[in-house]
Order: sequence, then structure tokens, then C-alpha cells
Amino acid sequence: MFINSVILLLQEILEAALLISVLLVITNLFHDIWGRSFVLRKTWIFYALILGCAGAWLYALVTPTVSEWFDYVGQEVVNSLIHLVSLGFLILLSWVAPSNYFSDKTSQRAQLVIASMVVIVLLALVREGSEILLYLGGVTSQSENVVPVLSGAVIGAGIGLSCGVILYYGLTSLSHTWAFRVCLLLLAFVCGNIASQIVMLLTQADWLPYTAIAWDTAGLLPENSITGRLLYALIGYEATPSILQAVCYGLAMLIIIFGPLFRLAWPGILAKNVEQ
Amino acid sequence: MRSIRLFLVASILATLTLFNFVAALQGYQSSMEEAEALFDRQLEDLAAIVLNIDVSGEVEGISLGNGILFQIWQSSELLAASSGSPAESILEFEEGFSFVNFDSYRWRGFTQFNPSSQRWVMVVERTDLRFILAENVVLESVLPILLGIPLVGLLIWSIVSLGLRPLDKLSTELKKKQAHDLSPVVYENSARELEQVIQSTNSFILRLDEVLEREKRFSADAAHELRTPISALKIQLHNLGEEIGSDHESFQQLQSGVERMQHLIEQLLSLYRTTPEKFAQNCHQVDLYQLVQEQIAQLYSSFENRNQILELSGDEALIEGDDFALQTLVSNLLSNANKYTPEGGKILVSVCEIDSDIVLSVEDSGPGIAEEDRLRIFDRFYRSDLGGNSNREMPGCGLGLTIVAHIAELHQARVVVEGSNFESGSAFRVKFRKKK
Repeated sequence: MFINSVILLLQEILEAALLISVLLVITNLFHDIWGRSFVLRKTWIFYALILGCAGAWLYALVTPTVSEWFDYVGQEVVNSLIHLVSLGFLILLSWVAPSNYFSDKTSQRAQLVIASMVVIVLLALVREGSEILLYLGGVTSQSENVVPVLSGAVIGAGIGLSCGVILYYGLTSLSHTWAFRVCLLLLAFVCGNIASQIVMLLTQADWLPYTAIAWDTAGLLPENSITGRLLYALIGYEATPSILQAVCYGLAMLIIIFGPLFRLAWPGILAKNVEQ
Repeated sequence: MRSIRLFLVASILATLTLFNFVAALQGYQSSMEEAEALFDRQLEDLAAIVLNIDVSGEVEGISLGNGILFQIWQSSELLAASSGSPAESILEFEEGFSFVNFDSYRWRGFTQFNPSSQRWVMVVERTDLRFILAENVVLESVLPILLGIPLVGLLIWSIVSLGLRPLDKLSTELKKKQAHDLSPVVYENSARELEQVIQSTNSFILRLDEVLEREKRFSADAAHELRTPISALKIQLHNLGEEIGSDHESFQQLQSGVERMQHLIEQLLSLYRTTPEKFAQNCHQVDLYQLVQEQIAQLYSSFENRNQILELSGDEALIEGDDFALQTLVSNLLSNANKYTPEGGKILVSVCEIDSDIVLSVEDSGPGIAEEDRLRIFDRFYRSDLGGNSNREMPGCGLGLTIVAHIAELHQARVVVEGSNFESGSAFRVKFRKKK
């Protein structure tokens, strides 16, 4: 019970913590680079956290009903929908945020960027938080499980949050240019991961056809090893992805890589504006 | 603004938590393996004990504890078994450890053969019970690490706060300093790391004090020294006017030149008079509306000469300020409006309360100020070109708005330049804090 809850909490918290860290670093960068014309307040994270926790609790409450929808594949379909909306907002962030940042409409653009970040974090928390709540609610109903499950949860959550904090401060210690580059690369991986999960969930629900396995690296790096889980949270590593999953992963990454925000980070205007 | 305290506490705590928790996890895994080995040895010992049981008498109903069963076999005959044990053999007739499933549980078993008595002993133990027992023991050692983290967090916070105290003290010391206080920072028993900062700050303050003093002395001396010859010059000019006639062109140019010079000197003097130290001495409650009324009365003839329509609106508005400095501010704004508004134009002056501010507005129907000039017009001696006409033709020295901005800053007020509500023109708004 202990080790199971360590693994579940570690995976879910790590995924959310890494996403939040990257978005917070991007907020800092926007603020530092376009400070005067592009005012972003970091307080958005508090709204996102509060709304996300409330959303996770609500979603966990209605999950039993949701799972009965669409011939008992409701949970898979709704989860993939949540992922799809997240992906949409991530793409919006990378395509809309940087354009015309010196124009008169910067305040509206800043608001759009903040709104996108709030929605992305909110949905990540709803997704991961509801899974954690359902798991903890289920296993702690037996009193002998409470201590091992809760201690495992604290250790898993502690490791996940610590990784998030270390990543955040690690990224902020880099030069603006490199921090921006790493953040956007991670954001591209996050998008790939989300796209791959959408395919996996819809395949499970029989809404998408099964396709052959693209490759098998289970022998080289098992998915359930600590490194495997860390890589899953960081770049969406899967040992045996299907061909459709791999294709969608690549496509989602390409959408971000060809977005204006990414092009801004890798040579371009940033180098001229930021190096002080 | 990033907090050093938050960075230190969060990053140290995160690193400690990460290493402690990963170590706890590693410790848990190796302790569980160790516990398994221990349980296996216990199973072996039990088998040895069971082997020595005397089976000649009644052995039915022997129990080795919760979740542990045994059987003693000899040539396919069950000699003895613990209560709850099935009738058939629970393990293979093969020496060593193995796993087996029966009775809806998974069991860990050990089989031993005694060649002298030709007996097989089989001992099995429920794996779930073994696991729970082992886990409970191991978790006892993990729990203190978990419970200790909040305490460690508090300790780190206190240590970091203690370490940053010299920095906090220095920043409080600097914050306490008034704008005009240019005395060196006195900071005893400072940290070695801060010595250089304090030394550099003090040397900077000293240099600044010297420069300011020199500048102050220069403008004061220059203004005073120039005033006397200008007064003499004006008397001579008056006499000259009587002699050659005041409508002589060269005489008029000379007179306007002398007037401009006098104006410049007066402005330089006001700049000197409104220094922070003088301001602190002269600060008291002022009714801004009344002060504006008086200034308009004084300058009314200039507006009348140019047929300008001047309107004043507002009500009593109390602020903290220096009477003389405020008179200069209002008179500079009014003179500017008078100069830049064409003949017959309109000027609207208002003193009103907006939110928690007292706002003095001077709006005119002149040519207005281009957006790119709006920040620069407050620079010393800067004069913008208005409406395509060279501003240089206008009388003035480029110090009026510098003085306005300077006085506003002393009063902690903000000056905003916008387009006026007339078809063209500019609006100067000075937002003062209301007196509480």
C-alpha cells in the first residue's frame, strides 16, 4: 500500500508541479523581458490552485456518475476532453502570446496569456487531483491502510513538489535566453505527452482503433522504474506506445515548435532584447 | 522582485526533502527485503522445531501462530498438522523455499527432509500478514522523517531569517533616511559581506552631498549675484527709454531681452528655494483652491491682454504643502497656458477631488503637445516645437515645467500631461494626496 501510494502521488504531483514550474518561469520571463508593456502578475497561480483543487474535488465526486456515460467509458472520454482543452490552451499560449507584444493591445494580450495559464493549470489539477482523491478515498476506507497510504502519499507528494521547486529555481538561475529555450522545449514535450494520452484514453474507450506498438523499450527502461516515471512526467516517456500515439505526440510537438513563441526563444528577437 | 529568503528556504527545504524522502524510500525497500529474509530464517527455525515434535501422542490442534501452518509427513502419511491445515500436502516434497496459493491466500513455504527419521516437514506462512507486519515495523522508522519535515522547514526559516538579519537592518536603516538626509549610514557590528556595500553607499552619499551642495551654492550665488546688476540694468533701461523713446525697435528688443533674463533668474531662484530641506521646514496646510484663485487674480491681466477666456471651477481643497512652492507651480502652469493658447482661446482651471486625490487641472485650447514630447518637456531647458511654429519665438527659458515637476515631487504629487477636452490643446493634471 505504501509503495503504491508513493508511486501514484509521485507521478500525478510531479506532472502538475513541473507544468506549474515551467509556466511560472515563463511568467517571470515575460515580466522581465516586456515588463513595462507586458504586465503579468504572478498571483494568477493562486487563483489557478484554488480553482483547480475545488475542481478536482468536484470531479472526484461526480466520477462514479461520469464513468457510466457512453456505455461505461465516460471517464476515459471526459478525461480525454479535459486533455484536449488543455492542449488547445497550450497551443493558444504559444501562438497568441508573443505576437504584437509592443502594440497597444498588450494589456488584453497579457490577460489572454494569464487566462490561458489559469485554465491549463486548473485542468491539470482537476485531472491529477481527482485521481489522487479517488485513490486516497478508496484505500483509506480501511483503517489499517491509513498510515501506510498517507505516509506513502506524503513521500510521493514531497518528492514531486521538491522536483518542481528545484526545476523552478534551476530554470530561473539560467540566463533569460536559455531559461526560455528550456521552458518551451519542456512545454513542447508536455503537449506531446497530452496528445499521446488523449489517443491512449480514446483507444481504451474504443473510440479510436488499436494500432500496432511503435517500439518497445521496456527492457531498456521500464515505465514503472523511478527514472521511467520521472521521464514520463518530464517528457511523457512510454515504453510501448502505439503508432497513433507516437504520431500524435510528434504532431503536437511540431505545432509548438513551429509556433511563434518557440521561434522567439530560439535565435531571433529575444537574443537582441534580453542579453543585458 | 524576487525574495532571497523565499529562495533560500524553498530551495534548501526542497533539496532536503528530496534527498530525505528518496533515502527513506531506499531504506524502506532494503528494510522490506531484510524483513523478508528474517521471516524466511524464522520459517526455517520453525521447521527445525516442528521436526522435533513428538508425534507419538496426540498432536492435533497445535497452532504456531496466526497465519502459520505446518505438516509432518512420512512416506506419504500425514503424521501431524497444525489446526486449520488441509488434509493434502501443502507443499511439494522438495527441500527449500517456495510460494504456494491455497485457501484464497498466497503463502511462503519451507520444506525440510530429515533423513534419519525419514520425515518431511512443511511450514507455510501467509505472505500478506508477513508483508503488513514488516511494513508496520519499517514505517515506524520512516514516520519520524515525515513528521520532522515541518520542523526542519521552521528551523530553516529561522536560520535563514537570522542570517539575513544584517541585510534587513541595513535596508531598514536606508528606508528610514529622508530624501534630504545625506548623512552617512551608521551601521555598527555589520556582517563582513555588507561592509563593502556600506562603504560604497557612504562614499556615494558623500559625493552626492558634495555635488548637490556645489550645485545649490552655484545656482543661489549666480541668481543673487545676477539680480543686482539686472535691477541696475532695468533702471538704466528706463532712463534710456525716456531719452530715445520707448517705441524704438532696438530699445524694445533690449527690454524684452532683459525681461527674459530676469525671468530666467527668478526661475533659477525658485528652483533653489524648493529644495527638500526648505520644503520640510515650510510645509503646512494649504487651501489649493484659494491659492489658485489668488494666482489667477495676479496673472489676470496677461489673459485679458490676449482676450483669452479663463474659467475656474472647484471648491475648498486642503493639502499639505509649501505655500510659496505651490504658488510657483500654479503660476508656471498658468503662464504656460497663457503663452501657448492663441488669442481668444479658452483655458479651464479646476481643483477637484477624485477618489483620494486632489487634482489641479489646467486645460487649454492651444496646439497641444506631441506624444513623444510629453515626457521630455519636464527636462531642464527642453522646449518643444508646437504646431509647426518654432517654440523658440515664445518667451521662456525651458525651466517652468522642470520646476513644476520638481515641486510636485516634493509634495509627493504626480504630474500627468494629456490632451485637453477642447478640440486641441493640452491638459496638465497635478494629483496631490488629500490631507487626512
